Amino acid sequence: MTTSRATLWILLVPGVGYLVLFFGLPLVLALLTSLGMGTIGTNDGFTLRHYAELFSDSVYRDGIRYSLYISVVPTLVSLAVALPLAVALQSTFPGKKLFLTLYKVPLVVPGIVAAFIVMILFDRGGEMSRLLKPLGLSLPKLVRDDWSLGVIIALAWKSIPFMTLIIGGALASIPVARSLGASRLTVFWQIELPLSLPGITAAVLLVFVGSTGAFAVPSLLGPIYPKPLSVWMYEAAYQKNDWGLATAMGIVMSAIACAVLLAYYRVTHGLRRATGGEVR
Amino acid sequence: MKGRFLSIGLYASLALTLLAPMLVAALWSLVDPKGGWFAPDIVPRAISLHHWRAIGLDRSLLNSIGLSVFISLSVTALSGLLALPTAYALAKIPFRAKRAIEMFILAPLIVPGLIVGIGIGYLFFRVGLAFSVPGVILAQTIGTLPFMIRILSATLEAIPADLIHAARSLGASPLQVGLHIVAPLAWPGFIAGGMLTFVSSFEEFEKTFIVGAPQVETLTVKLWAVLGGKVMIFPNAAVVTFIVLVPTVVIFFLAERAMRNDGALAAGMGKL
Repeated sequence: MTTSRATLWILLVPGVGYLVLFFGLPLVLALLTSLGMGTIGTNDGFTLRHYAELFSDSVYRDGIRYSLYISVVPTLVSLAVALPLAVALQSTFPGKKLFLTLYKVPLVVPGIVAAFIVMILFDRGGEMSRLLKPLGLSLPKLVRDDWSLGVIIALAWKSIPFMTLIIGGALASIPVARSLGASRLTVFWQIELPLSLPGITAAVLLVFVGSTGAFAVPSLLGPIYPKPLSVWMYEAAYQKNDWGLATAMGIVMSAIACAVLLAYYRVTHGLRRATGGEVR
Repeated sequence: MKGRFLSIGLYASLALTLLAPMLVAALWSLVDPKGGWFAPDIVPRAISLHHWRAIGLDRSLLNSIGLSVFISLSVTALSGLLALPTAYALAKIPFRAKRAIEMFILAPLIVPGLIVGIGIGYLFFRVGLAFSVPGVILAQTIGTLPFMIRILSATLEAIPADLIHAARSLGASPLQVGLHIVAPLAWPGFIAGGMLTFVSSFEEFEKTFIVGAPQVETLTVKLWAVLGGKVMIFPNAAVVTFIVLVPTVVIFFLAERAMRNDGALAAGMGKL
């Protein structure tokens, strides 16, 4: 069956065209604005001063560092929980079907709700400290603390099912035979882990990028200073009306996301060739 | 019984990380305003449905509920209409630039919502769609469309091409093939895709906040206003939390059942 090029284009236009118009075009406009070529405010021709401001101001440099901190740490915490969980979910146990549905609930819980739950549980005077008090124990400061532990808890809580789902999918597609007597652990380290690496990489990168742009959770649970780049970006745009600076921040964060995405395609492409096209 | 300890361990951690927090939130929504709930008390002094009954009197909250449902239904319809032809092309027609187009379609899922929001917010600022309901619908669709295309094309891919060829060669028109073969086989995926789109629109915050707040106050934006303000009113926040969560979780469970396995969900999110 051959389909004419015209039919193909007609079919592709609604979906792809929409994303070109409302996703691609705004990103291009943002890039132009960050380079001083937008049309709102002063139109002073090509300039790198927004980027210069972004990288020279210590407030924003701390912001970039803090954004990376609240992406790397929750990603590592999620991985430490999701990998063993995904492995455990490969075996059979009573009530598995119900568990497979229930553990995914955080996937659809908004970040703000996760932040609210962390507040009522872990804030000073929250439920945890009330429960621990009769035992003579007390919690360290977990909300608006210097280490952003509350932010890490909320972001990791949201990411763990997502990571487990993707890693579990990768693990499930590996046919493992233990008939030759290899131990469970050997099979995991020597066969399952290497073969599920593309899935693990995908999960890690997606959670990392997602946390880089987190806004609600660090605003509600993070310390007064430093603030992540996402919060500075919002303030620059809507409170200072400095779209040049805001779009420059957006472009820097998009660049990080794109670099991560390309790295991911590199990795999976290489692996796909190595495994003869079976890894998807 | 095999795996009993694993089962106990998994369900215990689920109870601790999911059920217990929900229980505390439920208690907050039931606090009686006369008694309050202050620091050393592990449970509130008195419990009442006061904050739940207050929903009916709170015009702005009722408006937010209606607005959220309207926006999510519109986003689902728009995403479905736009996604179907493109998903069909990606699933059934071989062409050269397919890989590149698939990568482009996935990009909005990977770029954080706030960044997409700033880009589109700036554009809408210039064309006068900022702070409007249509603006919010268009902005949310950027995030749901890639997901919908993914799920629909994964569903359509699973329909054997032989069936379609056989029907065509026996004289069925493309419309008949669509109605009698593709539609019956694909509908579970379509229903699941629609429900997941509804859910992800209903719980969306960042793009809605950037494009619409404070004029367009969906439930998540309302929750932000309650939590991020000068005085945090936990019982109100708890009530709004459940108004957002209960439909979200119920529809999500139904979508899960409709899909029967993780395939489409993992395909939508994981299989890049």
